[in-house]
Amino acid sequence: MATVEIQSPSSVRKVVVHLRATGDAPILKQVKFKIPGSDKFAKVIDFLRRQLHRETLFVYVNSAFSPNPDELVIDLYNNFGFDGKLVVNYACSMAWG
Amino acid sequence: MDISSWDGTISLAEFHVAARALVEKWKRVSSASPPWSWVSCPKQPWVASHEVEGYLSLENIILVSIKEEHDELLSFPQKEETSCSDKEESIDIATLSQSDRDEICYYDLHIVYSASYRVPVLYFRVYYSDGEPLEFEDIKKHLPAHSAKTLLDSKWTFITQEEHPYLKRPWYKLHPCGTGEWMKLLFQGDVSLARNGAAIEVYLISWLSFVGQVVGLRIPYEMLNQL
Repeated sequence: MATVEIQSPSSVRKVVVHLRATGDAPILKQVKFKIPGSDKFAKVIDFLRRQLHRETLFVYVNSAFSPNPDELVIDLYNNFGFDGKLVVNYACSMAWG
Repeated sequence: MDISSWDGTISLAEFHVAARALVEKWKRVSSASPPWSWVSCPKQPWVASHEVEGYLSLENIILVSIKEEHDELLSFPQKEETSCSDKEESIDIATLSQSDRDEICYYDLHIVYSASYRVPVLYFRVYYSDGEPLEFEDIKKHLPAHSAKTLLDSKWTFITQEEHPYLKRPWYKLHPCGTGEWMKLLFQGDVSLARNGAAIEVYLISWLSFVGQVVGLRIPYEMLNQL
């Protein structure tokens, strides 16, 4: 599966993020990408928002919790990553009456 | 719990289990942060006698916004509350060096069970160091930039002002109407978690990781590690 690389200095450790659609969310064509560990989780959220053209996204890690956008990706990966990647789930806002 | 038919809501008894788990775990892993505490309240006359009434409380915390870039939870406990009516005050003096003291505001956070929605609800109030409450427009300015945006855009998080169910004063409340749906969605990805009955123990922690972001509350990683 192709991974999308974001340019950054080669000395920065990159983290593989795996994006999983849940609920009614559209599935991206590319679901794995590398992001500098020093980036904040906000980058992942913003990336998803742009790709899906949705402002409201429900983004969470490991079916368990939603990271604060200011958390560093490398910290999240070190604590909650497994199999060499950080799994980030997303769902779109649900319609209700 | 059968996750496929679960609607994401919890009973009052389950809320108590989850609340106890949150308090204990928070105390265990996060001794540097101010603790969540359970506040018991006199029963409302219409509540069945076997049901305990109360809520979770985290008060007098400073959630500092530094130029909208970065939010941190600082612990400056100023008083401890042991019950709704009797308050014992023990003052911890801490020094804070801040260039603009006008920016410091304090939050009181309460987690109250909503019987009608069957989910926890976050009530909060924000005030300056002199105790004066912030106007809603000013609260929005102090919210972390990301969540302020989420607030304005999202169907899932909107703030209303209502009478606190126990304290009978106006507090801000994060409306609970979407909670069941997104809690179900959250746990759906991990069926084993639900089947083992662990879901209730972590329900509030997972829930708090979402709603806490609206006010900039950061959950320590150790709290999330066993989710």
